[in-house]
Amino acid sequence: MAVFRRGYERYNGPLTGTAARLLVMPRFAWERILSHRFVVVLLMASMFWPLACIAFIYVSNHADTLLGASGVGGGFSKMLEINGKFFNVFMSVQVVFGMILAAVAGPGLIAPDLANNGLPLYFARPLSRWTYVLSRMIVLLGLLSLVTLIPGLLVFGMQVSMAGSTWLSNHWSIGGGMVFGFLLWMVIVSLVAMTSSAYVKWRVVAGALVLAFFFVTAGAATIVNQVLRVQWGSLFNPGYAIGFVWSAMLGLEPPEDGPGVYQYVLSLSVTIVILGAILMRKLRPVEVVS
Amino acid sequence: MTPVVSIDNLHVHLGRREILQGISCRLGASGVGKAIGLLGPNGAGKSTLIQTLLGFHKPSAGSAQILGMDCHKESAKVKAAIGYMPENDSFIADMTAVSFLRLMGEISGLPPAAALEKAHETLFHVGLGEARYRTVGTYSLGMKQMAKLAQAIIHGPQLVILDEPTNGLDPAARQRMLVLIKEMKEQHGMNVLLCSHLLRDVEEVCDEVVILKDGKIVHQADLEAERSTNRRFVQLEVTGDDRGFAAVLHEIGAEGVSESAGNWRIVLPKEIEIGALWRITSREHLRITKLAYRRDSLEEIFLKAVGHLRPAPLATTQEAPVHGGI
Repeated sequence: MAVFRRGYERYNGPLTGTAARLLVMPRFAWERILSHRFVVVLLMASMFWPLACIAFIYVSNHADTLLGASGVGGGFSKMLEINGKFFNVFMSVQVVFGMILAAVAGPGLIAPDLANNGLPLYFARPLSRWTYVLSRMIVLLGLLSLVTLIPGLLVFGMQVSMAGSTWLSNHWSIGGGMVFGFLLWMVIVSLVAMTSSAYVKWRVVAGALVLAFFFVTAGAATIVNQVLRVQWGSLFNPGYAIGFVWSAMLGLEPPEDGPGVYQYVLSLSVTIVILGAILMRKLRPVEVVS
Repeated sequence: MTPVVSIDNLHVHLGRREILQGISCRLGASGVGKAIGLLGPNGAGKSTLIQTLLGFHKPSAGSAQILGMDCHKESAKVKAAIGYMPENDSFIADMTAVSFLRLMGEISGLPPAAALEKAHETLFHVGLGEARYRTVGTYSLGMKQMAKLAQAIIHGPQLVILDEPTNGLDPAARQRMLVLIKEMKEQHGMNVLLCSHLLRDVEEVCDEVVILKDGKIVHQADLEAERSTNRRFVQLEVTGDDRGFAAVLHEIGAEGVSESAGNWRIVLPKEIEIGALWRITSREHLRITKLAYRRDSLEEIFLKAVGHLRPAPLATTQEAPVHGGI
């Protein structure tokens, strides 16, 4: 029967589970975000570097064949080696795309709900503040994975498939380090994007704030280091801290002076807690004026 | 039968202020479509009470239950059983009404296909069928109110909490809203908790009423029971020879006392309708000049409860026009 003839009836059918409900908001948000042409172009552009890396891996794994024909020596072959440094460069380029994506998609996540007083509607349903934040974070984690984690695993898988199980057994920590490193970066960037979205209504300003967060903290850290002639000022620079942790996880040599990897992990953990607390403070179904 | 809303010595503090000061009541009965009106002057604590029932505020003492579930400890279960229509504009502006309702339905636990179907169905039900593909931000105030009502009932909740549902509506839209609320309880068996400043709206649709003042319940009334009992006391003025009228009243099972010539106070049993009086007066060739039944209007109950009207020794008489409207 046509819907306009049927009339309203109360729903009495089965209900979905908690996990399915958690993915409802991300599904709607992805649909909206992926309808923006700029985002699609950005996602396509972010695939070029992984493709170039895959081509490099191909060359590296077939160096003997290719170099044998050209007659170039073994020194060049060492330059083509796939190691932690290679993946560090790969990750550093991909996060630039990720950062732009977060600046474009992030501001539209929470600001409209706050501007339209939509939070009471969400929180009057079986959805807690934590689940709301998790849902919104899944939106960004999913999008950022498209430009970081998924291409990264693709590149790593390509290397494993070409280099064989011996390479994997010697370098499995690179894969683990890449996954953990990307996740850490995505969590921090997502929290920064969501916090700026929660506090700034204007999308352009909120997007700029995401980028500014990393520039400003880097500037502040440099000032602390220069003025006080210390190295621990870098602890206030989340961008540098993430890079430092990545390097350590990918098996690269860290700088000898300054804080160690554990100090940077601690500083990033504190950053996550602070950003989370600032965000949660804003996400209330009703404003209470004391 | 489990009460729909059960509040026991509920205290709620917002900041340092105690907004709800130990209120207790039992309202409605689950499985029976009833409407409960929540009244009170500004700052009485109505919104705080609603928000506490929704789990937005933690009680500082006491408890509040909806359908036997604790609003704070079993918040997720409670929220799955209720629908909420907020007072202020609340929506996602850049979404079409269908998408908006579908999103709300899915968050409430409806599977995607069912949510889409219910979104269309509910929008037609509230009269937004033709405008369902427009973004909610472009709706007029009245349409937004209807969209808010639609999102509150899309998942077929057992209790619908409506905060000022007729705010800003023109008379026709207000009437439509009240009809929808009546249908919700009478045809669909939903319980309704209606918070409104418009006493007429509450009187028209509610079966029970709770009046709050300064964070305390100052009056609780079963309007349905009051309506049925009040109808029994009728004041009648007639012209003509009414000497045998007492006997005639006795014939139909009513009792009457003549206060003065032509003035009668009559007690009608519950099963006898007012139309019976018309019939016997016509038979006795009496002409009715005034017919009224004694009852407190909700406005009088409200004003008495909040202290703006001194209680009368006898209930106030409300006159009704002779031709219809009783």
